[in-house]
Amino acid sequence: MPNWTRTFVRHVDAFNYRVGRFAMYLLFVLMGVMLWSSFARSALTPAIWTDEMGQFLLLGYFMLGGAYSLQLDSAVRMDLFYSRWRDRTKAIVDAVTILGLIFYLGVLLYGAVESTAYAIETGETRRGLWRPYMWPVKTVMCIGIVMMILQCTSIFIKDLAKLRGEDLS
Amino acid sequence: MTPNLIAMSMFGAMLVLLFSGQRMFGMIGFVAVVAALWLWGDRGGYDIAFAQSIKLMGWFPLMTLPMFIFMGYVLSESRLADDLYRMFHVWFGPVPGGLAIGTIFLMVLISAMNGLSVAGMAIGATIALPELLRRNYDKLMVTGVIQAGSSLGILIPPSVVLVLYAMIARQPVGKLWLAGVLPGLMMAAMFIIYIWIRCKITPSLGPVLSAKERAEVTRAEKIRLLSAGLLPFGIFLAMMVPFVTGYVRLVESSVIGALAAVLAAIVKGRMSWAVFETSARHTLAISCMFLWIILAALAFGAIFDGLRAVEALKGLFLEDLHLNRWTVLIIMQLTFLLMGTFLDDTAMLVIVAPLYVPLVDALGFDLIWYGVLYTITTQVAYMTPPFGYNLFLMRAMAPPEISLADIYRSIVPFVAVMILALALVITFPQIALWLPEQLYKQ
Repeated sequence: MPNWTRTFVRHVDAFNYRVGRFAMYLLFVLMGVMLWSSFARSALTPAIWTDEMGQFLLLGYFMLGGAYSLQLDSAVRMDLFYSRWRDRTKAIVDAVTILGLIFYLGVLLYGAVESTAYAIETGETRRGLWRPYMWPVKTVMCIGIVMMILQCTSIFIKDLAKLRGEDLS
Repeated sequence: MTPNLIAMSMFGAMLVLLFSGQRMFGMIGFVAVVAALWLWGDRGGYDIAFAQSIKLMGWFPLMTLPMFIFMGYVLSESRLADDLYRMFHVWFGPVPGGLAIGTIFLMVLISAMNGLSVAGMAIGATIALPELLRRNYDKLMVTGVIQAGSSLGILIPPSVVLVLYAMIARQPVGKLWLAGVLPGLMMAAMFIIYIWIRCKITPSLGPVLSAKERAEVTRAEKIRLLSAGLLPFGIFLAMMVPFVTGYVRLVESSVIGALAAVLAAIVKGRMSWAVFETSARHTLAISCMFLWIILAALAFGAIFDGLRAVEALKGLFLEDLHLNRWTVLIIMQLTFLLMGTFLDDTAMLVIVAPLYVPLVDALGFDLIWYGVLYTITTQVAYMTPPFGYNLFLMRAMAPPEISLADIYRSIVPFVAVMILALALVITFPQIALWLPEQLYKQ
């Protein structure tokens, strides 16, 4: 494989790993926000920002963590046949079907970018008392989807390399 | 093309692509966006996939998902359940098949502390399985017990599957959880009766603990071990009492549960950086897997909505085929079981439930009751080949002397018991509905 593919795979994997590890700890921030919410409701005045904040955090958690979870290879596969194939067959089929996956993510990104642009232009806010701006969370989603696409491309390149008898991982 | 034909070809295309072994969320999403672009590409069809993420954001109880997953991993990674297992081991050792029966009790307690079956599987396979094999329990019996027992995790509260169902059916989670309690305990009792009878007839399946081994445990030791049982009750109460009394909301109670598990691990001296890191990492991996599948499946469901597939299905069953509503229900359960054998449970829930739940409602059935039927069907799906979540976990965790064929054969009697339980709940809806009705009467 050409040298730039090697560099691409290395950088993408490293970047997604770091962001994914960061996302992993968002879970505990989410816990803190929810605890504060119940504490404030019973001891102080109810906090108006916690519910939306929790929703944003959960979305950030799985959008930014998605690429790392692909690295951990946790996504479910229906491996009735898959598990019986040789590594080469697996790599060939994967290299074809992952294009469908990337296409899905591409359409997702298109919708995300358009929605983010709309949110920035119109100053869209979320319903409720707190009325937070929507563009920050939508931008995070765009970033998460781009990371997913990059990770899938990296997986695609690794599969191609495997077919040529090279190992990039 | 008629909408029905489109819906069917989408389903067919999805199945073919899923069998390619590619990541499920990608294939479901791919079929969804291709259909959306083709059907409504000129009228915002490209937007459907992303719009689902905003819908997902609005599903507040979804936040419980990573919490319960984290809780389950802390419990299994910190090996907090070791003492629990020893307690059942000592107390049930003298009964025929007693260790297997003790394992079912263990699974019930673990189910009350987490919302999926993964933790139960992990604990069963790492603690109970080697002990039972060492004592010459029949390997088919042992693997069956662990798989069946751990599937109780999704029926006994807290249950992640019922949270997801609650969001689709728009029913209160608390009521659904209460509805799951008695059917869950009933099923556990049925497993126990089955094990006891089998081992009574053929003692070699589950030999009684030897007199020598029993004599080694003093009465004081037996009493001391009982205190291990306090831990799950403590965690369960810390989580459920504030929720049921209305002090905290569902999501907050799940946070309390997760923290209680961490606290228990610290107090018992079982918490380490490795345990914490592994739990957090697995939680991220599993939660992301769930959420990306849900996101893709929602897009798929939105297209079925746009095609008005529910009305088409209802018309087909009630008007074209002249079936009565019970026949329709039974057909639905059968197709559900069939689909469950080759679809992942999350995908099954998010694709099939939006189609079935309105239909069940339109037929005049109780949606709380149907939630329990749905969950039991999912449990069966968890355990039936070719695609059973618990089968895969078992294969990954079991020692090499247990072959895949053993695992497949081991589940047969337990699946039969589960289908019997399903039939009982269908015939006597009160098994599910009595408890929530009692508690929600005031």
